[in-house]
Amino acid sequence: MIHRSMKIALTAILIVSAPWLAPAAAPPQEARLRVSPETVNMGTFYGGATVRVEGVTGPDEKVVIVVRGGKVTEVFNKVGRVGPIWVNTGKVTISGVPSLLLAFSSEPLGACLTRAAIDKYGLDLPAIKKQMRIESKTPDYGRIADDYFLYKTKQGSYHLVNGGIRMNQPDKDGLPYTLEFVLPKSAPPGQYEISVLECRRGEVVQSSAVPIKVVEVGFSALVAWLATQHPSSYGIISVVVAMLAGFGIDFIAARLFKRKIGGH
Amino acid sequence: MVGAGAMVGFLSGLFGVSGGFLLTPVLIMLGIPPTVAAASDSCQIIAGSSSGTAAHFRLGNVDVRLGTVLLLGGLAGGWLGVRVIKILRALGTADFAITLTYVVMLGLIGGYMFAESLRNLRRDALVPKSHRSTRGESFLSKLPLQMDFPRSQIRHSVLVPFFLGGMVGIVAAIMGVGGGFIMVPMMVYLLRMPMHAAVGTDLFQILFTCAGVTYMQATTNHTVDLVLVLLLAAGSTIGAQVGARGGRRLRGDQIKILLASVVLLVMVKMALGLLLTPEIQLIPVKGH
Repeated sequence: MIHRSMKIALTAILIVSAPWLAPAAAPPQEARLRVSPETVNMGTFYGGATVRVEGVTGPDEKVVIVVRGGKVTEVFNKVGRVGPIWVNTGKVTISGVPSLLLAFSSEPLGACLTRAAIDKYGLDLPAIKKQMRIESKTPDYGRIADDYFLYKTKQGSYHLVNGGIRMNQPDKDGLPYTLEFVLPKSAPPGQYEISVLECRRGEVVQSSAVPIKVVEVGFSALVAWLATQHPSSYGIISVVVAMLAGFGIDFIAARLFKRKIGGH
Repeated sequence: MVGAGAMVGFLSGLFGVSGGFLLTPVLIMLGIPPTVAAASDSCQIIAGSSSGTAAHFRLGNVDVRLGTVLLLGGLAGGWLGVRVIKILRALGTADFAITLTYVVMLGLIGGYMFAESLRNLRRDALVPKSHRSTRGESFLSKLPLQMDFPRSQIRHSVLVPFFLGGMVGIVAAIMGVGGGFIMVPMMVYLLRMPMHAAVGTDLFQILFTCAGVTYMQATTNHTVDLVLVLLLAAGSTIGAQVGARGGRRLRGDQIKILLASVVLLVMVKMALGLLLTPEIQLIPVKGH
């Protein structure tokens, strides 16, 4: 009897205290993603920066890495033919599109993710096309979208690669991967996001993201600060510096060429 | 950037043109935003033209009196041109109007200069050229406020260079350039200035015009990139020195035919831009 009562009491205690006795929730998983540099310095001779992304995924997983800027609204003049001449025919406003989109994958994107997943994460041009909003007097939205993508691709702001991620030999932690890409010089100062999507059977099973900053430094930063905060002084400084450069070079050249001063 | 600046500086020193009509398209092709390219170009022209002006001043090619009158006219015309372009922008036809103005002006000036210089070069250089006074010239000589410009060896009413400067200022403001490639032919053909004096005097007035434009761009649009300017200036100031000295080795007609060829090449490129189907039919709106 006692034995039975003890059993019931113990069971009751266990049930009540279960939440406190259960092992603490697993600590946040150690960062599986490393990006270097985390801050890109945009100096005087900046022409883009090489960024390295490293991480580890499961042995059966495929990886997609996306570098994305915030959504922007851009305005364009649309040209059309009038007789033999191409002229502006109206304004086009495009919104809901990322300012920067670089996408890389360990295998062709279609082999990593289903169409629905690609659309959900906005990983290719058809997916972006579904998200973009176009305001135009002319109804040729397909042509406008294609031209926009061509413009962004030529600018270096959109770069979609089927591949590019190097998968290394598996180790005790999993399957290490590495990506090196060039952040284009067309990416202005600001914050961007690097996301890693780990995929299995066409779906994203885990994702992680880290921000990357682009900041102006040195003389470029000083010039940018002066130009925006003290435009009047900046205008005068620009004129004086340009004049000094011109007269200075003339002073040096006059001595180098040793020309006689006077009329001709 | 330094190479592009050197090329434009050389043309500046040789022909007395600011080179803006060449450098801005080159900068845009190199990936610089159009607004920044145009504003920074104005600033770097200050460096190139101050270097060229100083070199020409020592060579005795700068007519300060005439240059000052042209400058005053140019500033008045520029002010008016800015208002014209504002109206055109409101009508949505500014870009087309600018390009068409370029093609027509470059075609007329380049074609006339090329044909005239070729004709002169074919003549025997030793035969002195006779110059008959035209009806237009006799009209100009009757205008009030006649003034001697001894450095240029001409006499005109002050109104003539002021009006000429004003006309060029309007066109230059509409086209967004210094206007040297229009001003130099006008000085040679309308004011009858010697080619070398026209080149030196034009550089003098370009220097001050672009200083005003740079200040306005910096304070209004914040589009002057001083780093870019310094890179371009490094090339353009040296190029201007070489160009100014190279010009002394050439006869006036040889300089004219070279300038005419450059002007016609730019005109053909711009005309093709109007006629050929563009690869991308979207043009980013400046300043957005």
